Amino acid sequence: MVVIGGGATGAGVLRDLAMRGLTATLMERGDFTSGTSGRYHGLLHSGARYVESDPLSARHCIEENAVLRRIAPGTIEATGGYFVATPDDPDDYLDRFPAACAAAGIDAEPVALDELFRAEPLLNRGIRAAYRVQDASLEPWELVDATLASALEHGATAHRYRPVIGIERGPAGEIRAVRTRDARSGEEATVACRAIVSASGAWAGQVAALAGATLHMSPGKGSMLVFNRRLTSAVVNRLAPPGDGDILVPVHTVCILGTTDITVEDPDDARVTADEVRALLAEGDRLVPGMSGARVLRAYAGSRPLYDAAELDGRAQHDDSREISRAHHVIDHGARDGVGGLWSIVGGKLTTYRLMARDTVDAVAQSLGNKKPCRTADEVLPVPAGSRAYWLGDRLAAVEADGGGDADLVCECELVTRARLTHALDERSDSSLDDLRRTTRLGMGPCQGAFCIPRATATLDARRADGRLDDAAPDANDALRAFAAERFRGTRPIAWGDQLTELWLSAGIFRGTLAADALPPSAGRDDATR
Amino acid sequence: MPRADVVVIGAGLAGLSCAAELAAGGARVCVAAAGYASTHWTHGGVDVAAPAAAKTSREGVTTLAAVDGHPYAWLAGSLDAAIAAHRTRMETAAIGVVGTIDDPLVAIPTAIGALRPAAILPAAQAPALRPWGGDGLLLVGIGRYRDAWASYAARNLRASAWADGPREVRAVEVDLPDLAELNNLNAPSLARRFDDAAWRARALRTIAARIPVGAWRIGLPAVLGVEAHAAVLEEARSALGHDVVELPSLPPSVPGMRLAAALERQILAADGRVQVGFDVVEVERDRRRIIAIHTEAASRTLRLVADAFVLATGGIGGTGVRAHPDGRLEERVLGLPVAAPPRDRWFSEDPLVPHPLEAAGIVVDDVHRPVGDDRMPLLDNVRVIGSALAGMRYLSERCGDGVALASAHHVASSLARPAVAA
Repeated sequence: MVVIGGGATGAGVLRDLAMRGLTATLMERGDFTSGTSGRYHGLLHSGARYVESDPLSARHCIEENAVLRRIAPGTIEATGGYFVATPDDPDDYLDRFPAACAAAGIDAEPVALDELFRAEPLLNRGIRAAYRVQDASLEPWELVDATLASALEHGATAHRYRPVIGIERGPAGEIRAVRTRDARSGEEATVACRAIVSASGAWAGQVAALAGATLHMSPGKGSMLVFNRRLTSAVVNRLAPPGDGDILVPVHTVCILGTTDITVEDPDDARVTADEVRALLAEGDRLVPGMSGARVLRAYAGSRPLYDAAELDGRAQHDDSREISRAHHVIDHGARDGVGGLWSIVGGKLTTYRLMARDTVDAVAQSLGNKKPCRTADEVLPVPAGSRAYWLGDRLAAVEADGGGDADLVCECELVTRARLTHALDERSDSSLDDLRRTTRLGMGPCQGAFCIPRATATLDARRADGRLDDAAPDANDALRAFAAERFRGTRPIAWGDQLTELWLSAGIFRGTLAADALPPSAGRDDATR
Repeated sequence: MPRADVVVIGAGLAGLSCAAELAAGGARVCVAAAGYASTHWTHGGVDVAAPAAAKTSREGVTTLAAVDGHPYAWLAGSLDAAIAAHRTRMETAAIGVVGTIDDPLVAIPTAIGALRPAAILPAAQAPALRPWGGDGLLLVGIGRYRDAWASYAARNLRASAWADGPREVRAVEVDLPDLAELNNLNAPSLARRFDDAAWRARALRTIAARIPVGAWRIGLPAVLGVEAHAAVLEEARSALGHDVVELPSLPPSVPGMRLAAALERQILAADGRVQVGFDVVEVERDRRRIIAIHTEAASRTLRLVADAFVLATGGIGGTGVRAHPDGRLEERVLGLPVAAPPRDRWFSEDPLVPHPLEAAGIVVDDVHRPVGDDRMPLLDNVRVIGSALAGMRYLSERCGDGVALASAHHVASSLARPAVAA
């Protein structure tokens, strides 16, 4: 079996296949969790967001919410969540909400307003009603890494930076192999397989096309803003039909306001527009008045893996991507397109990734005559070796407990020590700085890399000189330029106030003092330096 | 109630230089600043002008003076006197300034091993300007100090096309005394250790023991003392037996701290006042004149009355100009109009190339009064200097220090003439 896509769904499918004794390998075109899974707001849904618009998705969410709390507790911060009715939210929605939650099996407990404002003093005092739900903050990188670690324990393998460039089929149209290319070395390889699960989300149409199947995805771009601190301590949702800027999620030291929803042609279109930023801030102000004046660190966007199921039975397709169900669909391209052995798993939420994987693997296993039951909800995920603490306080304690050179902070904003960085490089010695960001939070704080980028680059380069980096690892100077560009992409849409001044400071360091724009194309490789 | 001839708002290179010159000329000067500024964030050299293809700063100034709206269009003539005045101030402070605007712009190494153009540097950085002849460059990294990357820089410099560069570039990592148990050392904390005579003697012996045979210039992090810098530099040269080149790295910048401290001392010595750390909270005006500003102070506000006010609050980087989410740019103290490109053209795609927004700032007339769209002065007794000015792009043109010094000198000389303040 080959699984295509190294986000939450692909990792979940890989783990489920492996736990049922199937031999499986995963191919991810970039870094693990670098697509939609790593570019969402970090919310573990209670499902209450969808009780009215999408009851099936709501039920899935609340069931999986409980499962994930059981199997991946280390990746979840139990912030709790509120649904609040601001003066701008419709009365009829508020009236129907309790019954809709009850029907979906979601606990929504009314909260007295004075209690709400004691707990969340920055919220809009015009809020008329509030319910408490089982929302939480979920760390996607930890979750995917833990899921992959479990899959590997069960005998699976997973490869990153291996885009699939072709799918080979036999005379009857059946899947025989995938062809991949190493994104760094350019080396191509063929991996024989009996079946493929495409867990490539918004990119599933492109993968299906490689096998000659047609799958029309409707990628929904969702843009989010990261604020430099927590404005609330719990998740806060608007009591209204899903809309722009209606969810605020506390994540680590920051909070994230999401999301917009715009149908895009190209799932790689992750550009946050000025209109989106305006819309998010305007809505954010209704939740937390003055929020638009708070410091925004960056903006980013992910591509929802939306699939308009109307296509399946020839119904008219939806015009607005908000109308497309968030429920998931397992598509058997054998039955549908005559491509036996290709399955696509589309739709769904990160919260329901395990359920999506189960439904997919149920179908695949059945076709292969494998009758083993799904056990992914029973077995707790491993905590990745050298566990990366979720809490900043834990990281601080680790910094203080540790001593010597490795306790030096490479990234002050996120308390990333040299020890953490080198540990991450030991684990994955082909990492770029952006890959290290996903495993350590390097560069995610207010300065967006102004201080940590040169430090981390020099660390990468020193390890290369010591022969401790994979040959596939990017050159140090390329790593510096690429990460500086990546951080800039997120700052540019929200460059005002203190964050624009910070950007100018960063430009002064990179261009003025260090002249990083004049670095040689690649750092020298000779090590006659000591 | 404090009353001054001139209140300078802002404590960067422009503000402090202007205040020092006014104070030295006998004016009663008060500097009020929200915080220390560009000096503490940058390399401490004097970037006058280095647009592409310029062979000297003078050539660069000529090129920039021809750019529409660039302050060098009228400041070029003030530059020689401004730099001479700066040189005198830095020599008084034993920091020194080497190089002139007619010297060739030379490629000098940065802390990551890139090359940047420079012509005028403080004495501690200046040996990088001198022809290398047969000298090698030995970069010294200091164990426990995170921001000197000697090996990485050396590899980059060896991979660079460094015309007329050193014979060879090598790196050594040295552990200095008593640092083993410390974490997160930054440049100022190391520099303060170098201020200690006994410690630096041990540290310099440790470094000297690691220098290979041959003719070298020793590239050290820019941490050679704050208060005792001149002595540290002198002892470093003699203890190491080679010339020493300071390489500035991440902020806080020790060379910049020395510079700011030197100017501040000179202002105080000439009976000026310097008040750093407090924002302007209120401005009293009467038609086209500012009467007084009020700054925050300990548990009260302080009213500063003056005949003239010099706005040296910096641009976006110095927080003198602040952007709003809707793309509006606000001059924060006096609410002056800010000239800038439209919001959708502020940035280039790549962070390491010029951005149109760099040119944003306050448009002034030839005596540096802020003007409106009709080019008429908005305020008669206000002068705007430094990187708050529109039309300069200090990141791309490397002209920030030259514009700061020239505008400071231009305004200081005009305000020193009583008629102008009237």
